[in-house]
Amino acid sequence: MITKIGREKLQEFVAGLMKSGRLFAPVKEGKGTNFKLITDPQSVTLDFYNTIQSPKAVLFPQSEDLVNYNISHDGIASEPAPIDDGSRIILGVRPCDVQSFEIMDRLFNGSGIVDPYWSARRSNLTIIAYAFDRADPVDFYNAFGITGSDEQGSDILMVRDTNSFLFKAFTDKGTKLLETMPFLEKGTADDEKRMTEIVDKGRDIATRTLDTAEIHKRLAGIFDSPYWEEAAAACLNCGVCTYVCPTCHCFDIQDETLFGEGSRRKIWDSCMFSDFTLHASGHNPRTKKSQRLRQRINHKFSYYVENFGIISCVGCGRCTRSCPVNIDILTVVEEAR
Amino acid sequence: MIQIEKRLREEAKRLLETKEAAVVLAFGRGFDEEHPMPLILRKPSDAEKIVFNEYCTFNMARHLTEFPPGTKIAVAVKAADSRAVTVLIQEGKVKREDLIILGIPVAGMKDFRSGTAIDATTTGPAVNPVLYDILLADLLPEPKDVSPYDVLAEIEAMSPDDRWGFWSAEFSRCIRCYACRKACPLCYCETCFVDQAKPRWSEKSPSASSNMMFHLTRFYHLAGRCIDCGSCSRACPMDIPLYLFHKKVSKECEEMFDQAAGMCVDAKPVMVDFKVEDSDDILL
Amino acid sequence: MSFDPKILGIACNWCTYTGADLAGTTRLHYPHNVRVARVMCSSRINPAFIFRAFVLGADGVLVGGCHPGDCHYSTGNLYARRRLAVTKKILEFAGLEPERFRVAWISASEGNIFAETVREFTEQVRNLGPQTKLAAQKRMLA
Ligand code: SF4
Ligand code: SF4
Ligand code: SF4
Ligand code: SF4
Ligand code: FES
Repeated sequence: MITKIGREKLQEFVAGLMKSGRLFAPVKEGKGTNFKLITDPQSVTLDFYNTIQSPKAVLFPQSEDLVNYNISHDGIASEPAPIDDGSRIILGVRPCDVQSFEIMDRLFNGSGIVDPYWSARRSNLTIIAYAFDRADPVDFYNAFGITGSDEQGSDILMVRDTNSFLFKAFTDKGTKLLETMPFLEKGTADDEKRMTEIVDKGRDIATRTLDTAEIHKRLAGIFDSPYWEEAAAACLNCGVCTYVCPTCHCFDIQDETLFGEGSRRKIWDSCMFSDFTLHASGHNPRTKKSQRLRQRINHKFSYYVENFGIISCVGCGRCTRSCPVNIDILTVVEEAR
Repeated sequence: MIQIEKRLREEAKRLLETKEAAVVLAFGRGFDEEHPMPLILRKPSDAEKIVFNEYCTFNMARHLTEFPPGTKIAVAVKAADSRAVTVLIQEGKVKREDLIILGIPVAGMKDFRSGTAIDATTTGPAVNPVLYDILLADLLPEPKDVSPYDVLAEIEAMSPDDRWGFWSAEFSRCIRCYACRKACPLCYCETCFVDQAKPRWSEKSPSASSNMMFHLTRFYHLAGRCIDCGSCSRACPMDIPLYLFHKKVSKECEEMFDQAAGMCVDAKPVMVDFKVEDSDDILL
Repeated sequence: MSFDPKILGIACNWCTYTGADLAGTTRLHYPHNVRVARVMCSSRINPAFIFRAFVLGADGVLVGGCHPGDCHYSTGNLYARRRLAVTKKILEFAGLEPERFRVAWISASEGNIFAETVREFTEQVRNLGPQTKLAAQKRMLA
């Protein structure tokens, strides 16, 4: 069944979603858009191509308390920080980004070691995917079999029509959520037809692509190649690519204390930073930027494949779009032969 | 620009062939025409990979400190970039005699991310390099009556509370990816203060106060050194207008110490210098 | 309860700190609000000390050094003057009240001036009220 809402009623729809759980949706920020916890329905925008940062922070915040403690003359009192696992809804996730949740699940939930923070939130998450209506030249999600209007992994697929948004639920969770929404109209036969048309059009959006066959073996074979020096020559070793990426998941654990009160926190880290591999002894096994870029590419296209059976990239193009020196991950992988 | 590209290729080829330079720092093609990349050349035959167009905004001085001391480096510089090279020479990070500076007088550069023109609001207005060995095009008339600091008027006029509000909002977006620092030709510290664990100057978690601690200290570290190339702000994925703060600090330094950064290799950067006659009024 | 400002004092060993000592030994009264940290010279002061002090909740910062020309290391305070001036401009442009930061040249024999400066600065900061802008929230991520 298709449901729909007029564009002018978007805010009411958003307000409805806010009642069903904590809502994260795209908000204009600087010159771009990012997923934010919504407190004001008016702040939501669905006029965007894709967000600068990925939606991963909804489940995996940049900094999260693990243990809270208090250090005083009487000793140290500590207790685990409560896991913030209330139900969450994300509105407007592009199909490639939806796939990133499945990829991260394999690490945070499927490797035998369960990350309770990710898992608790993940099982309480409702995803409203939002089909693309065009392709940015740097995207390459087609390489992973993802299409512009894929519903895979989402609870609801939303598409944009001229004056309305159309919805189709694919899970029970999605169906129930839509049922509780006021103002949603039942779609007519015409709407059904429109939805099919739009989804078909989305499926036909052609992004760049990549021959992924045996890619992990190919990369393993060139570990020592001088190629990496060349590929990384321009790299600045900032962390932009990893911080905007939906599947980068490395974190550091640090104690942050202020006047005896503090928390042990799980904080995003980046393999592109020089102190990422710095040992306490002062030794750093990865001193060169070529080694760091190689690590990022290999982790995604080789090690992750070996460990979890899937490439840890969804082709969203964010890293390329945000790289200050225009290093394009697809080109780097393609030329890695 | 085509002419500059041609000249740049010729010079790069010649310098590498004659071994006058071991490395040439220039610009090359990225994933498309409008997204070039910094190019680091070592073979004369690679010279044809050089590209120059309005999107070649990179400050190649940023890469100068990556090579072992004594490496002969040819570096292509635009106006602001040449000032960064000058500061690096002043600070002893590179030696003048190890450099062959290929000066590019050019106007009309564009930001490859937004496609918009780069002007005096975000970058220094000068169009000619201040330091070069070989000029790749004729010098251009310098724009008249344009101050790099005009853009500050609005923020300077704010009340302290409003200014605090303005910066708090801007820095609240900071994700601490450190692209600003890494894009800056003058942020060459091996270990940045913000990465130090003992003492911990700023928490690693982004927060209002830790972001402010990072940025204020970084602004201070660039005082009297920042040459207004705008690289930091263009690198920022969150569009934080760092240039406003850097410009303000530069303006104050120029007013107090009567010297702009990176204009002359023989000058000392103002923050490692003093004059006995500096007035106590600057502390008011 | 009325607001009792917390002020960090940073004083050089040779002049201001000795001046503060003199103020003490001559039993001059001055407010307890300034807690003085001693450094060997005003040029030892990393501006990040000052930013950090504000982040850690200082309501004001008072820096003291020898009079220009009298620095024990000859020129330390001439460098410091430039650094502290820029530090102040940065705080001001960020939107912190510049009155929360002061530099004073106080010699070893000027115990009375030390006491007077502390009195005056404490009043000034008291009038500004608590510094809440840069100060970290207890739960930093609140
Ligand atoms: S964003 Fe670009 S420059 Fe920065 S670390 Fe990644 S690849 Fe290197
Ligand atoms: S590696 Fe780049 S393209 Fe792939 S998922 Fe991450 S940000 Fe997107
Ligand atoms: S601080 Fe920014 S504008 Fe200044 S030199 Fe560094 S990158 Fe250029
Ligand atoms: S580049 Fe922007 S987001 Fe990244 S650390 Fe700098 S100011 Fe923050
Ligand atoms: S010793 Fe007092 S300022 Fe240098």
